Amino acid sequence: MIIGTAKETYGADQALLTTRPQQVWMVILLASLLVAPFVFNAYWQYLACLVLINVVAATGLNILTGFTGQVSLGQAAFMAVGAYTVAWLDREAGTPFLVNILLGGGVAAAIGIVVGIPSLRVKGLYLAIATIAASFILHFIFAHWTSVTGGSSGINVSPARIFGIELLTYFQLYWLIMPVAVLMVLATANLFRTRIGRAFIAIRDRDISAEVLGIPLLRYKLMSFAIASFYAGIAGGMWAYFFRVVTPESFPFLTSIFLLAAIIVGGMGTIIGAVIGAIFMTLTPELLRYVVEWVSPWLPNAATLLSPVRTVVFGALIMGFLVFEPQGIAEIIQRIRRYFRVWPFKT
Amino acid sequence: MNELMFFIEVSLAGLGSGALLALTALAFVLIYKATRVINLAVGEIMMLGAYLFMAFTAGMGLSAWIALPLAIAGGALTGAIVERGIIRPMLGESAISTFMVTVGLGSVIVGLVELIWGTEPRSLPAFISSAPVFLGDAYVSRKIVVSFVVASVVIATFLILFRFWRGGVALRATATDQAAAYSCGINVPRVFSIAWTISCGTAAGAGVLLGAIGGLSSAMGAFGLSALVVVIVGGLDSVLGALIAGLCLGLIQSWAGTYLGGEYQSVVTFGLLIIALMIRPYGLFGTHEIERL
Amino acid sequence: MFNVTKRSFIGLMAGVSMTLLTSGAMADDGDIVIGGSLPLTGVFAFAGVAIEAGMQDYISIVNEAGGIDGRKVRLAYEDTGYKVDQSVAVFNKLTSQEDIHLYYGDSTGFAKTIAPELARKQSMIMGGASFASELNDPEAFPYTFMAGPDYSEMFSILLEYIAKEKPGAKIVLVNSDSEFGRDPIEPARAKAAELGLNIVEEIITPPGSVDVSTEVLKLRRAQPDYTLFHGYILAPLPEFMTQAKELGLTTKFMGTFWSMDSSIWAGSGDVADGFMGVMPYRYYYDDAADAPMLDRIRAMRPEYQATGYMQGFVTAMLMVEASKRVIDAGDELNGATLKTALNTIKDFDTGGVIGVPISIPGNSIPVGRVYQYDSSAQKMLPVSDWISLQE
Repeated sequence: MIIGTAKETYGADQALLTTRPQQVWMVILLASLLVAPFVFNAYWQYLACLVLINVVAATGLNILTGFTGQVSLGQAAFMAVGAYTVAWLDREAGTPFLVNILLGGGVAAAIGIVVGIPSLRVKGLYLAIATIAASFILHFIFAHWTSVTGGSSGINVSPARIFGIELLTYFQLYWLIMPVAVLMVLATANLFRTRIGRAFIAIRDRDISAEVLGIPLLRYKLMSFAIASFYAGIAGGMWAYFFRVVTPESFPFLTSIFLLAAIIVGGMGTIIGAVIGAIFMTLTPELLRYVVEWVSPWLPNAATLLSPVRTVVFGALIMGFLVFEPQGIAEIIQRIRRYFRVWPFKT
Repeated sequence: MNELMFFIEVSLAGLGSGALLALTALAFVLIYKATRVINLAVGEIMMLGAYLFMAFTAGMGLSAWIALPLAIAGGALTGAIVERGIIRPMLGESAISTFMVTVGLGSVIVGLVELIWGTEPRSLPAFISSAPVFLGDAYVSRKIVVSFVVASVVIATFLILFRFWRGGVALRATATDQAAAYSCGINVPRVFSIAWTISCGTAAGAGVLLGAIGGLSSAMGAFGLSALVVVIVGGLDSVLGALIAGLCLGLIQSWAGTYLGGEYQSVVTFGLLIIALMIRPYGLFGTHEIERL
Repeated sequence: MFNVTKRSFIGLMAGVSMTLLTSGAMADDGDIVIGGSLPLTGVFAFAGVAIEAGMQDYISIVNEAGGIDGRKVRLAYEDTGYKVDQSVAVFNKLTSQEDIHLYYGDSTGFAKTIAPELARKQSMIMGGASFASELNDPEAFPYTFMAGPDYSEMFSILLEYIAKEKPGAKIVLVNSDSEFGRDPIEPARAKAAELGLNIVEEIITPPGSVDVSTEVLKLRRAQPDYTLFHGYILAPLPEFMTQAKELGLTTKFMGTFWSMDSSIWAGSGDVADGFMGVMPYRYYYDDAADAPMLDRIRAMRPEYQATGYMQGFVTAMLMVEASKRVIDAGDELNGATLKTALNTIKDFDTGGVIGVPISIPGNSIPVGRVYQYDSSAQKMLPVSDWISLQE
């Protein structure tokens, strides 16, 4: 039972992980991240890479929506911007993949700032709808600016090369995606210990008061959009090297809804919420596939039911979590932690 | 045939589809006026209404005149259940949460429709005769004329209702200030239920019209997004705004589709939305929300 | 120190996995697996379900006869909902789990997308639901084939039919705004100019569009003799045809393969009467004397099978034939050997599913017949002979 934490050094005071159980869990997590690709078969490696890409995108959205309170349904469009930038650079310039991915994030951030401009005029639901409009307009550009984006056929991306080795198998791609994802989540955790992060939280809670306190809304709202879009661009860039093709249909509007659902289910406004939400929402359709396979002896044509069932479960998850557990899985985890913190006493 | 006549025909077609947009926008406005919730599932409820109509006419062989009220009743019932079961517990939560709940609801409805009726596109059995209507020399498809007439009648009815009927006044009262409405003796939960029921019934009816014009598929709900644009441009809580913005958007979509090309329709629609949001964020006729600390 | 170890470790793992993969390809005994990204749900579901049935049926016919040199054939497939990234994901999943040398792709978009991967892997050939003309290029797409004429070849057959019926006719093209829809527009323009036909209007409809009244107005303004649809299965064709007929337009309507199934027009009534199009296969109910395979299909499936069934059936037939030729020659199964074997198919008898013996000189089978819909019989009936385009 933890009664109090007495910090004796500045280092301990500034640490991200303060308690012994947290540190142990983090070590276990990192160890399993390192060991995972060796024990997984190719399909689970594929899923792991996909989950990590979604974690980066969801964390970005969480910064914008969960911490700054600006609802955005355009995250998929920013991922597409990052992916197309990477694909275009790969086709035209042949620059190394890390440079491509960073530039993808940069271009996405720039577009994010443009899309964020309405946030100064409108709030809440109106802003969400403005981001929907922006994502449709971006989709139109991707589909019709044929000279750059290849129109509906899209662009093929050659494999990322590191020191002459092509990153082709999922095992290899994992070692690109995993460190990036870990870094991005760490950066987010640190962001919210700085004054920028605190400004974001202030804007979320009451932006008029924040302005009264001297936080320039223009600068910080646009910064939030930029950071979230940067994350989305990086996720999109990794996606481009993962799937090796980018088309206008790669990032449909449904992906934006998926990411928003992921952070709602995981817990808006918490770092771990975005991570858990992304993992949960990416793996649930796969779990459903197993359930449908298991049911198929009794129910012929079960394969055709998989897609509608996934849609229903997706919607039901969103509704269920919002009605019963609005703060998401992160809250459930906190409850469990609180229970063990005062164990054997009752909460 | 000369350009002017062509232009008039295109405009008439645009007005007709605009009327359908206005009718759908009405469903949005009703719910927002009463409960301050943007129900993004309106498009999916339209789809549900169309599928129910198809089930009643093609599946059970009922005549269109019976199936239509039944489909509307089905939509209304869905609205009532949703309001009671899902929206009522969400009272007091942030608007974003309720918005996302309706997104989830839309997803569930799409999945259920696919499970029950399959995923391929279908067509409704024809219940509106296809004989063309000629206004002077200009041709208008009969289905468009029917939807225009229906939409106008329904919207006019609602405008009158809100002005003169006690229920309409009660709706506006609960929208303005729930606590004050309670203290005036208005049964606020019942107002919510009524608003949702009528709104979803309207959406289901609009869905039948939409299905008659363009066929049924599980992606029909995307029409709701266009209607959302209408609602934002017209003002979230203004019925008149829904009508005018709906007609205008229908016209603009028709002109863009004809003179620029069919693929420009959606980009023009959403570009218009962004412009409207920048110039008049609360819509042409919406009430400016004053935020207090 | 740690970095060097990690880097060389990655290199070692890459090398090991490469060896494992290639050695896996060396081992050829066991089932021959045909992989499939099939659109069992979504807008193409109607076709996807039929394609799967057609492939499975042909595979069971082959397995009953002993397989290919004793090796059984198997279909490993998953649903894609007709979405390209889902198709790619299924492709990745299946190819990582099974040793696949034959693949069925569900769309034009997927076929174009996966072509570089096919070129890199060089381990398989791919057929599919797409008849896109862009894919009918053996140099750009060496591992792709289609079990019929490509869309511009279909258009050529239709345009030649029009030129014979009514020289100098006015034509309107109506296409959907997708890769599938836009594919044959350019070649159609060229062919029409060559035949002296006049394309007066090109209408593009947004995919999933619901209201076609403005497009019908354009049609009315153009007053064409023939209207050619492409990029659709059913909607919004009946709506177009209904409104056009009501307006007194005398235009005849034509479509391409995926709009040509009898059952989808059954619900449209008299509006569909006279709708024409190109189909490279016989229909399920065709009882021509020289079609023993159709009798066999009717014995296996008592109820009507859509055109997608025939497409899957013939694709599976070609895949099996190519594999058989490679194995008989003693080679290992990979993209190059299978494609070469496919191209050696000359004057091959499909058992009557296609009315004439076929050859595959490039990536397609440029054979087809013009059919017309008879709404009283609710069937598509042939109105021309089997046309072979010598490209």
